[in-house]
Amino acid sequence: MDNVKETVISILNDLTGEDFSDNLDENLYDSALLDSMGTVQLLLELQDQLGINAPVSEFDRNEWDTPAKIIAKVEEMQQ
Amino acid sequence: MRWFIPYGNPTYFIWLALAIIPLMIGLLYGRRFRGYQTIISLFFLILTFGGPNWKTGIALIGYFIYQIILVAGYSHYRQKKGSANQGWIFVMTVILAIVPLVIVKVTPAIEGGRQSIIGFLGISYITFKVVQTIMETRDGIIKEFHPILFGQFLLFFPTISSGPIDRYRRFETDYKKVPERAEYLDLIQTGVRYVFQGFVYKFIVAYYFGTVLMPGIERHALMAHGFSWNIIAYMYVYSMDLFFDFAGYSLFAVGISYLMGIKTPVNFNQPFKSKNIKDFWNRWHMTLSFWFRDYIFMRLVFFFMKHKVFKSRVTTANVCYVINMLIMGFWHGETWFYITYGLFHGCALVINDTWLRFKKKHQDVIPHNKLTELFAIFLTFNVVCFSFLIFSGFLNTLFFGPNKF
Amino acid sequence: MSLKKRLFMIFGPILTAAVLMLVVFLSPLWSRLSYVSPKVQRNAASSLSPLVLKGQLIKQRALENNYVPFFGSSEWSRFDPFHPAVLAAKYHRSYRPFLLGARGSQSLTNFFVMQSVSPQLKNKKAVVFVSPQWFTPMGEDPNAFTFYYSPLQTTTWLKQETGSKMDRYAAYRLLQMPSGDSDKIIAAALARIAAGLKPTKFQRNYINVRNRILANEDQIYSRYRIPLNNVKTIGKNMKKLPRHYHYRQLDELASQIGKQQTSSNDFEINNRFWNRRLKRHVKDLKNFQVGQSYVKSPEYGDFELLLNQFADDHTNVLFIIPPVNQKWQEYTGLSAAMLKQFDQKIKYQLRSQGFNHIDDLSKDGNVPYFMSDTIHPGWRGWLKMDQAINPFLTKKVSRPHYQIDKRFYSKRWQQYDY
Repeated sequence: MDNVKETVISILNDLTGEDFSDNLDENLYDSALLDSMGTVQLLLELQDQLGINAPVSEFDRNEWDTPAKIIAKVEEMQQ
Repeated sequence: MRWFIPYGNPTYFIWLALAIIPLMIGLLYGRRFRGYQTIISLFFLILTFGGPNWKTGIALIGYFIYQIILVAGYSHYRQKKGSANQGWIFVMTVILAIVPLVIVKVTPAIEGGRQSIIGFLGISYITFKVVQTIMETRDGIIKEFHPILFGQFLLFFPTISSGPIDRYRRFETDYKKVPERAEYLDLIQTGVRYVFQGFVYKFIVAYYFGTVLMPGIERHALMAHGFSWNIIAYMYVYSMDLFFDFAGYSLFAVGISYLMGIKTPVNFNQPFKSKNIKDFWNRWHMTLSFWFRDYIFMRLVFFFMKHKVFKSRVTTANVCYVINMLIMGFWHGETWFYITYGLFHGCALVINDTWLRFKKKHQDVIPHNKLTELFAIFLTFNVVCFSFLIFSGFLNTLFFGPNKF
Repeated sequence: MSLKKRLFMIFGPILTAAVLMLVVFLSPLWSRLSYVSPKVQRNAASSLSPLVLKGQLIKQRALENNYVPFFGSSEWSRFDPFHPAVLAAKYHRSYRPFLLGARGSQSLTNFFVMQSVSPQLKNKKAVVFVSPQWFTPMGEDPNAFTFYYSPLQTTTWLKQETGSKMDRYAAYRLLQMPSGDSDKIIAAALARIAAGLKPTKFQRNYINVRNRILANEDQIYSRYRIPLNNVKTIGKNMKKLPRHYHYRQLDELASQIGKQQTSSNDFEINNRFWNRRLKRHVKDLKNFQVGQSYVKSPEYGDFELLLNQFADDHTNVLFIIPPVNQKWQEYTGLSAAMLKQFDQKIKYQLRSQGFNHIDDLSKDGNVPYFMSDTIHPGWRGWLKMDQAINPFLTKKVSRPHYQIDKRFYSKRWQQYDY
């Protein structure tokens, strides 16, 4: 499961240029680190790297707005 | 019996207050009188679509049945075990869903301003609700189809004429449950505040700009035959009128929804405080721009990136901005000024993104402080007002309208 | 917090506001607040603002002083040094015009305006400017009527209506306008009056309450919304006049100014109007008034309402019938014979009922610098009018003897080809 966490953090790192390892609860939208474009890229990367098939509809900003929440969502969807 | 545009005059509000009091008492004591709610919904729909407007009432009924059948059919296809989930069936369904709207929007353009007989007040807002439901059904997020719930969602009367555009899953959750008393009391408090704020916006501020100031300025500007400072005055006055009128209306719709225990999303969040165009679209007519973001922009980006249509991420985003806003322009109506308005905002978003990237790259040399932020707000405000001048169609009357003397 | 307390916190302010509003707008005390400063009266008299037209208080106070109502439509807005308001102020006349009317305000609008000042018209004098252009086949434009419609004036009239032919005809006409239908209870009362019945008790009570609210609104707000521009315009124009009034000298000055200000065209239309409104379209306007008639119109019935109200109030009235700019009339193909027919028909309606003060200028359309534009008098036109207005308002005029003839309300008269 650590694998998921690392992958998500590395994807976010690529997308935003920031390291969230110690900052898992930072709000990605409030701080304007992620926008719709970034979101789509995130979904595509998750699909490529982790095989998560998350459609755009699934995406509710309130449920995906911090690295921690994203990791939790991904883990939930992998099961 | 009189016939009303929703929230158009004081009498409508008196009817509204009388009709929802029983509903509110029910909600306070832990009951939602769904049958009663359906009856008053019908009553208010008849107030708007009956009497001299009966033809649009018929159009609404026809449209409603058509969409219910369409969504039911697609849900049946999508939700049976081992559904093939064919792309072309999905595309066909979406096309069929928007065909009535397209006809309504195109008819005046090709028939010299004549309105289509299948049109009615609020058709585009219902179409948005239908299309998003189909898309989420395709994605498998909506797993069941309830014709009654879906009907309640489409015809929810406080928002029927001009939104805000709610989401099916969100509406369904609210409609099915009864809020806790404490929570509901908060909703009432906020709802009442919204309605009264709406009064100030629509009947005082928008009245002042739109009814007191605008006609004189408009006349002077038209008399000048060409450029005059009155056009600039018109631009600001129109922008203010547009905002306060629409925001006021939206506050009524949201406020009344709250009183009915439904948390319809808000539509405006101090848009003239935006620091850039993107920020603006996160604050202006939010349910529409979010709808476009979620169901058009993001899907376009997803499609282009997945199929690697464009090499760079920047190009993808730019192309999608322009397409997205162009579609919004076309949605407003098939006239050069609506389409130009869409294109204008598409380009503005592209420029905005380019600038932000440039600024990020040169963070060390480009200053960022309270003053530059104020300037950004000022600039955004003026760009937006200019786009509203295009949107108003006033330039069309001025340059191409029939000669008046 | 208990449920009751919480609900009270939410709805208490609304209920309080509603009660306060009822108290304020139903209170009879406001009628004591009826002082209107001379300055406000002066501003209002030349403002030509629809708000003044629709209101009540300011006009009442002004007409109780030395203001005389000048009923009409768009002509009053053509200010120049010879405008009646300028001459009256410059030469310290005993009267000041209270200008009533703006574009599109015709007989029916003026009839309702009169309702708000009926007590002030009793045994007084008034001037009425009768535009031939009112008397089109369709009569008063419903949109224009709506624009100037005043529920206050309507309810004031309804309070004092007696079921006379005039009242019935006014109710009937009002019902043909969208405004008449805008309040369902009043519309029902109008229908009863038009049919010759009394309004029901409920309708009467409703009308009284509405009138009280509207009158209070008028008492509270009407002083504060008066545009000032025209007072300045009048002041500027006064400066262009010589200190003493000599008709000849003024007439010469009028020609001079007229000549200067019509240099751009051959129609003797003032440059501003010409450049802004006509120049671009002048080709399209050739012969555009061929076939236009002012002889058959529902306006004749509405005009009778006006006469009837003047007769009821024993108001001594001077009627002014203006010409049409002859060069323009010929260019646009407006029939001179028809204009003459109109003149005779309207004069018959006036004279046969005892309205004998008529300043008929209809033959002056070819006098140089008489008209400011196509249909509105200017410079020498105003001055000539003054030769009738001044003596009428400053000298003693015998008590009028009017005999109202109901047949002038009939369709037959309206459509009569005189």
